[in-house]
Amino acid sequence: MRLFTPYDVTKESDMLMPLEFTRANRLMHVDKTYKAEITNIIRLTEMEKLFHIRIINEEERARFSFLPGQFVMLELPGYGEVPISISGSPSNRGYIELCIRKAGIVTSILHKARRGAKVGIRGPFGNSFPMEKMKGNNILLIAGGLGMAPLRAPLFYVTENRSEYQDVHILYGTRTPDQLLFTYQYDEWKRIDDINLQIIVEKPDITWSGKVGMITKLLDELPIKPLETYAIVCGPPVMFKFVCNRLRQFGIPMHRMFVSLERRMHCGMGKCCRCNIGSTFICVDGPVFDYWSVLNLKEAI
Amino acid sequence: MLFRIIKKEDFKTFVNLMLQTTEVIAPKFIKNNAKGKPIHQFLPISNYDEMVLDYEKCEFSAKTYFLPYKNTLSTFHMKDHDWTQEIQYRIQPRAIFGLHPCDINALVRLDKVFARDFYPNPYYISRRKNTFIVGIDHLPCDDGFCHAINANHITHGFDLFLTDLGDRYFVKINSDRAFMAISEVPIQEITDEDTKDYLAVRKQISQSYKVSVKTDDLPNLLDIEFESKVWKKWGDKCLNCGTCAMVCPTCYCYGVTERVSMDHSTGKKIAYLYSCNLLDFAMVAGGHNFRPNQETRLKYRYYHQHRGFVESYGEPMCVGCNRCGRSCLAGIDPVNVIRDLHEEEKL
Amino acid sequence: MKYLFMESKRPKVAVFDFTDCEGCELQFANKEETLVDFLKAIDIVNFREVMSEKSDEYDIAFIEGSISRADEIERLLTIRQKAKFLIALGSCACFGGVNRMKNKFPMSDVNKEVYGETPKETLPVRSIKELVHVDFEIPGCPVSKAEVERIVQHIIWEVPYQFPVYPVCFECKQRFTICRFELGELCLGPVSAGGCDAPCPAGGTPCWGCRGICAAPNFQEFFNLAKERGFSKEEVIERMDFFGGFRSVTGSK
Repeated sequence: MRLFTPYDVTKESDMLMPLEFTRANRLMHVDKTYKAEITNIIRLTEMEKLFHIRIINEEERARFSFLPGQFVMLELPGYGEVPISISGSPSNRGYIELCIRKAGIVTSILHKARRGAKVGIRGPFGNSFPMEKMKGNNILLIAGGLGMAPLRAPLFYVTENRSEYQDVHILYGTRTPDQLLFTYQYDEWKRIDDINLQIIVEKPDITWSGKVGMITKLLDELPIKPLETYAIVCGPPVMFKFVCNRLRQFGIPMHRMFVSLERRMHCGMGKCCRCNIGSTFICVDGPVFDYWSVLNLKEAI
Repeated sequence: MLFRIIKKEDFKTFVNLMLQTTEVIAPKFIKNNAKGKPIHQFLPISNYDEMVLDYEKCEFSAKTYFLPYKNTLSTFHMKDHDWTQEIQYRIQPRAIFGLHPCDINALVRLDKVFARDFYPNPYYISRRKNTFIVGIDHLPCDDGFCHAINANHITHGFDLFLTDLGDRYFVKINSDRAFMAISEVPIQEITDEDTKDYLAVRKQISQSYKVSVKTDDLPNLLDIEFESKVWKKWGDKCLNCGTCAMVCPTCYCYGVTERVSMDHSTGKKIAYLYSCNLLDFAMVAGGHNFRPNQETRLKYRYYHQHRGFVESYGEPMCVGCNRCGRSCLAGIDPVNVIRDLHEEEKL
Repeated sequence: MKYLFMESKRPKVAVFDFTDCEGCELQFANKEETLVDFLKAIDIVNFREVMSEKSDEYDIAFIEGSISRADEIERLLTIRQKAKFLIALGSCACFGGVNRMKNKFPMSDVNKEVYGETPKETLPVRSIKELVHVDFEIPGCPVSKAEVERIVQHIIWEVPYQFPVYPVCFECKQRFTICRFELGELCLGPVSAGGCDAPCPAGGTPCWGCRGICAAPNFQEFFNLAKERGFSKEEVIERMDFFGGFRSVTGSK
């Protein structure tokens, strides 16, 4: 005779519902992943590739929507999972664009994967850039290095809703010209009404005829109206620190500058604590923070 | 909550009844240490006599029965360039006897993270709901500071809770299933005599706490002392071994890894408990380490336990059991670290 | 191996042994449940202990054992020339291993002790990397087959393999192993590389550090805590010299 009856979590009604990743406080398959197919691979540089990934199940694909700044956990069955920020447009419901640098084990194998390969996607996770709030303002989109990958989502959003924003400036810097991402799209961006694209490299090669120097140099040439401007800054901590401090000198309030933080993540749901700083979880409270919050996050920069 | 009395021989019958159908975990005597002190561990038992209810403290908490050190989250079955994902939750019933109040409070804190917050975790919930918890009162241990951190009383998070009154136990019955189960053996209504005896035991317990340390001001103190020399002092001693987090009843930080079979037919996704004191805790792909120094990593552990968790859940994660202090070979004792922080503040 | 529309190469593998006990190479034939798949993933072309055919065409050479004779040096140099990727297998190959203990004595003494009146040619023991470039090291006495399998998978896909950074203590705790210090013994667990799953302390023997130093050792504190428990620095150093993986600390030859 059993003294108490077993409880089967899988019989809970929540567990039987179609898969949806929300923060809602109900039971769910937290580690179930959407199966997705790599439909296209675009070689950007020696180290980075852009993957087009389509969720296979139509119902799940329809359910998947995201906001600029959010990320997914990309699963390579048997080898692991990595957090990748979404580089594509939120209005693109057909496939998800992920720009991936060859850095660790999972990404190295992914770089060998071919079109048609089936991977897994969990998400989207995290918060987003406040695109609604920014409407009616001038927008500064500033990226350093791989920072172009997360910046491309708000960039798409702005170009697709061009009339909602005033002047748009894209500033992009890398160390060397061959590290520049999405070079084939610059012409398109430049031709969009009133978008000012500026590119700078630190170490030019013989083919480079553009600007040379640190990204902050580009800021000095801009006509900035501090109280009518929002800035999104993506890049390594040392870069966004310099850029944000420079923007502050122009008088832009810190709550009008947004950065996206990178951390180690193993779950995306505020549980594993790998991205935790004190009480802040980069995966659920971020990855997007205004600069004031970043300054208050100990050891964030 | 209902209160009843159970005679010790009837309790023995209850345990043996439980053993017939359910895996029972209880403090078990292993051996004496070099100083002749007995070592107990929470392990499966096969009969009542293996259970030691008047143990002092188990160096390893019972956390592993809820958050296993290694837990298979899912299995990928791979074939012809395609795969399917299989997820299983542990639903086999289990009973744990002999948890002290600190350990039950530790579970209550874990509930807040894994069952009551965003993204509730079915792996944990399934184990938690299928575990029958029987706690027991005890005289304070030498180095614990549960009373200083408000973790020495329990109000929920268990099925039965015993207080030893000599020949009988005073039983708190805290769930429907516990009442049903314990009713299988003779139990008695409490008398005035029982209440008097119970209160006397409680009084003795509350008068016997040995360690005193102030913890209620820690959230603020940790902020002010972020750059304190105290972290260097204790950080220099840290062995970066993660022992503290492994024995802690609440440390739940983990990592996820995958193992693929040699023929690439199956892949296992495994969550493994990790420790923020380990070198690569905050290292990202590409090699950048957000916490390269051992003092920063040690500080982070206190930060998460005594500040971050308070901000998120209204109480510290630490329950004052001091297993970490006792197990740390370098002698990093939280009581001394916290006292040092207070000293620093006075300067 | 086929996976995600990728097809891996099946590298040609050779296994060679030098001054050793052959325990590590025996691990190649161990773990029967996955042995067939292991042998499908790689093409073993030269392995004295398990086969008679010998080929000098190989991509990966696993070297077991330390070097203690002149002819071994020559053999090793030839292998290095032929192998695209050379792996030191086991503590002897990585550090010199138990054999290295003889370096503490004059060679004439050790020769006499072992061979009596019929001395053999012998040199002070050296690890593989002291003689040739080593592409990868797998420490352990013996190596863990499960780990060898994972490393082979990584080599096949040409992706980096990362050893765990934690010391042995971490894995002891996960097994509910009572600390050997608690039982009054000296254990190198706090400073030794984990990843072995800590079988020795669980089986009743303290850690002797066969996998070498962990990623973030704290030797100052380790010597302190050993001293507090009655173990002198000499005693600790003697223990550390057992497998030769701690020479950067002990300064032994």
